[in-house]
Amino acid sequence: MVQSRSRTALGYVVLILFLILILLPFVWMLLTSFKSPLELSQYPPTFIPERFTFSNYHDAFSRYGFAGYIRNSVIVSVASTFCVLALASMAGFAVARLPIRGKGTLMVMLLVISMFPPIAIVTPLYMLLRSVGWLNSYQALIIPYTAFNLPFAVWILRNYFLQVPGALLEAATVDGATVFQSFWRIFLPLTRPGLFTAAVFTFVAAWTEFFMALVFNSSDNMRTIPVGIALFSGQYNVPYGTIFAGSVVSLVPVVALVILFRKWIVSGLTSGAVKG
Amino acid sequence: MAMHQTLSSGVVRPPSRRVRLLRNQRRAGYSMLLPMAVVIAAVTLFPILYSVWMSLNDVHLETNGFALSFTGLANYRVLAGSRVFWHSVWFTVYYAVVTVAVELILGTLIALAINGVRRLKDLSLVIMLIPWSLITVISAQMWAYIYNGVYGVLNAILQALHLIGGPVAWLGSPGLAIAAMMVADIWKTTPFVVIILLAGLQMIPDEYHEAAYMDGANRWHAFWRVTLPMLRGSIALAGLFRILQAFGVFDLPFVLTNGGPGTATESLAILGYETLFQNLHFGPGTAVAVSTVVMVLIVCLVFLSAFRSMVETEGA
Repeated sequence: MVQSRSRTALGYVVLILFLILILLPFVWMLLTSFKSPLELSQYPPTFIPERFTFSNYHDAFSRYGFAGYIRNSVIVSVASTFCVLALASMAGFAVARLPIRGKGTLMVMLLVISMFPPIAIVTPLYMLLRSVGWLNSYQALIIPYTAFNLPFAVWILRNYFLQVPGALLEAATVDGATVFQSFWRIFLPLTRPGLFTAAVFTFVAAWTEFFMALVFNSSDNMRTIPVGIALFSGQYNVPYGTIFAGSVVSLVPVVALVILFRKWIVSGLTSGAVKG
Repeated sequence: MAMHQTLSSGVVRPPSRRVRLLRNQRRAGYSMLLPMAVVIAAVTLFPILYSVWMSLNDVHLETNGFALSFTGLANYRVLAGSRVFWHSVWFTVYYAVVTVAVELILGTLIALAINGVRRLKDLSLVIMLIPWSLITVISAQMWAYIYNGVYGVLNAILQALHLIGGPVAWLGSPGLAIAAMMVADIWKTTPFVVIILLAGLQMIPDEYHEAAYMDGANRWHAFWRVTLPMLRGSIALAGLFRILQAFGVFDLPFVLTNGGPGTATESLAILGYETLFQNLHFGPGTAVAVSTVVMVLIVCLVFLSAFRSMVETEGA
């Protein structure tokens, strides 16, 4: 098996190189966030900061509005995630386990809807939000983020509900439970992995979304992290130190999610591939 | 989703327990679907149809709303005669085709190479998922700093290796700016493709390859006739995800190049955004948006059918 051993060695080399290439820009960003403004624009650049300074972090939160951006992002992402879970779990249960008509059509329609780019819907929504005075509000983002993430969540949760035996519904009905009670007490707890997957995907999508956040919520106190970072500029030059300090902090929650939920993220990413 | 009730006409027999139960469950099902249906209809279906309607009108913004006057295809005729529009169509297609092709090929090669590695699985999974969860705006700022023509680290590295004579303004000329943007995109999304393809590779039973080698196939044949056909679903899935994203590319050029230099990196989404929300030309703007949707749907269909025929002829 000499051949296969050399293949494994090649695999290790490729893997390590690949991981290093992924990480290098992050390392550069992290190192840069600890440099003084003078050292930031030095050429050739220093690799390790000559003097570690936390002033960029201090500036990002005390002089600039990063605390507000992070608060807005957390509120919008958490609220969207809960709305998606509530609506998608009910819908997924109905499609998987209740005798309704037009299931096939509905699921295909959800797939097609999820393919439309946001630019297709943004103008009428902007007009609508403007006429009811909801531009620069949390609901201006929570509602569209909920709608955009529903199709995937319904698909995922439907597949999980299908794995729970339908006989449980019959049994609960015989015992006098209503349909909603059986859903809430029996089915929902058994589909927890599906809920995790749908939650992580919705949270990450809401956390990273830029286009609608830019169009609907561009006033400084309502900006989410992406809008804050994109529109962040100093008086004379781009303040990369502050930008990267804020970016590093905003990476923490998502990296924590990735570490905790990596298995479910992969199962979500590949759920479409199984059926080809 | 019509709410058909089972109204048995004329027969005065009380419905059986079974029928009542079914009707009850059906009614519960529709009411559990309703909230989702309302949100999706209000936020996606209705606005898409309304965008189409707006693109057929002259739109005037007023203090408390807007006024429409029907002009038929006038907005589309404006686009058809606009060099800026055709340039952004060309750029978006070029950008999508190159980045998706490179990501799929590179992703397949990397996935094949590292498929046999048994250790470091959790660690490499986490590292590969981080770019997927990264805010694109952050990665754009990161690359803008790396590419910077005055103090960027890329110039420093290339100069140290004597590959360039002096600092290069990477984002200063159209060709380099497009290439720089593609590299940033490929860096961020290749790991995503690798994860999907690795999962696909791990679902292929070992016996398939063993059988192929027993029949005298070499590596090359085994790849084309066993691995690739079995991987078809995963590649199609990754490709579709990526094409949809690449056609809407907005965040990266918005931060990295602001569509420039000139209009070199002005994607359809950037053009649509500028027309709509900076120039407030809502008629032509929605026409750009609707054209984008039509193109995305066509490209997805073409990709799926081309991909299917390619794999089938090579694998036959």
